[in-house]
Amino acid sequence: MATKDVLDTVAKKFIQIGLPKDLFEKNRFNLLVDRNRVIVRYPAPGVRSEVVETPTGVKTKVYVEPGTKLEEPVTLCFGAAETTEVQTTEGEIIVGEGADVKFQVYGAMAEGIKLKHKNKLKVRVEKNARFEFLDLHYNGEETFVELDTETEAYVGENAYFRSVFKQTRGRAGKVRIVLKATVDKKGVAVFETKMIGKKDDEIYVEDVIHLNGEESRGISKSRIIAVDETKATFVGETYGNAPRCRGHIDCSEVIRGKDVTVKAVPVVVVNDETAKVTHEAAIGSIDKKQLETLMARGLTEDEAVDVIVQGMLR
Amino acid sequence: MAPILTVNDVKLTIDGKPILKGVNLIVNEGEIHAVLGPNGAGKSTLASLIMGINDLKEPDSGEIIFKDKLINGLKITDRAKLGITLAWQEPARFEGITVEEYLKLSGRNNPELDVVECLELVGLDCSYLSRFVDDTLSGGERKRVELASILAMRPKLAVLDEPDSGIDFASMEDIANMIKTMRDRGTTVLMITHREEIAEIADRATLMCDGKVVQTGNPKEVGQKFKTMCVKCEVRNPELVGGE
Repeated sequence: MATKDVLDTVAKKFIQIGLPKDLFEKNRFNLLVDRNRVIVRYPAPGVRSEVVETPTGVKTKVYVEPGTKLEEPVTLCFGAAETTEVQTTEGEIIVGEGADVKFQVYGAMAEGIKLKHKNKLKVRVEKNARFEFLDLHYNGEETFVELDTETEAYVGENAYFRSVFKQTRGRAGKVRIVLKATVDKKGVAVFETKMIGKKDDEIYVEDVIHLNGEESRGISKSRIIAVDETKATFVGETYGNAPRCRGHIDCSEVIRGKDVTVKAVPVVVVNDETAKVTHEAAIGSIDKKQLETLMARGLTEDEAVDVIVQGMLR
Repeated sequence: MAPILTVNDVKLTIDGKPILKGVNLIVNEGEIHAVLGPNGAGKSTLASLIMGINDLKEPDSGEIIFKDKLINGLKITDRAKLGITLAWQEPARFEGITVEEYLKLSGRNNPELDVVECLELVGLDCSYLSRFVDDTLSGGERKRVELASILAMRPKLAVLDEPDSGIDFASMEDIANMIKTMRDRGTTVLMITHREEIAEIADRATLMCDGKVVQTGNPKEVGQKFKTMCVKCEVRNPELVGGE
């Protein structure tokens, strides 16, 4: 474990890019990793974890005991306070039967650093469990991150899994996000991705949901704002493989700038006559009526765009 | 009362079709002024020209003067900063923006802003503050939030485009009272409508037909003319109803 000086240095750099001060001042972290060093580790009740430092990152295994119900989120941070060639994180999370927990995970890449970050995560949400995974990313405006993250989830019978990837601050960089879920009987999987691309950022998001259980549900929702010369692609695939399952893909991409390239590819496949999968995709500039309404209340065009974009990314 | 808005011989053609054919209108400070007319009369186009929305920043000819300042060509924001605003017939919906945030944005230059009071004045309680201004609100609720945002902004002139549309009959009186409250709080109201019963709450009314002003005066008389002649008129020829 690191000294207080190391923690203070990391805190200073992460707060600078927008991480809430409270997280450090009130010791909210259950796990804080800088590159491949564990800085803070504090167990949450009912949550067992193994963390191994590797030459390029960490490997974690988290087991939430069956029936564990936590009011407060389990708070984790995987960040980099300095430039490093590559950071690799691998994780496995098992949420035991009947548990109800929320993980708030901060990705923090300090101002000005350059980094390749690779992440692989396996999630298993057992029967009747409820698991929310909020993945909040903070980058500096001059930070450049190549992020490649893959999540594979199994959602058990009558279980609920919600995964939110949100880029809250700074540049997106070059991003590839792949989220896959297999959903069992009456289970629910919800994927939400909210990002803004600036300058020459490249964003690729792929959501794949297999609704394999009777009456299972899947929602794949993306909100991508592409500015300047950003290239953004969203691929949403939902497979309705079981009786009375329901899936929906909701993709909205806003372009702002002449050199933006944006693509949305919804794929809906149904293999059962009682299954239903729907999709809606909208790509376009900022809604004119929204813009003009805010301008008619005295906001400048730039202020109005900012309000609308921040609302979409909330 | 002094004029707050003067529309002088305004003409506008869209896609080769004349929409406004020399409109003259004076709105006095502190009044509720109804612009009444059938669909296609040019009322909403006139409202757009006053606010500068829908790419209608200026007419082909004529002048729009707000408090002695020519506003032809001004940006929407600049008109709003002068004290003009507009409530849309179908208000915009905003993903991820709460009613409280929307009212605070609208009233950010109003030092006496009280968002709870604004909501109460439009018949909504404070539980709406945390609601999002999106599809989770009904059309009627969204309309009330829109009027609350005007109360929050407290502009000098509010252009209300069909404030009664989508409102059930039972709520019409509420809407009328909200508009009167706006006036009583110092906002001049220019209300676009095609219903003479809502126009009757105005201090003065103007009848428009086929891109022209037909009559300005007492709302009851103007409403009566609209009811007896304009509504039945299929050719929409202002000369048939004694227009300019």
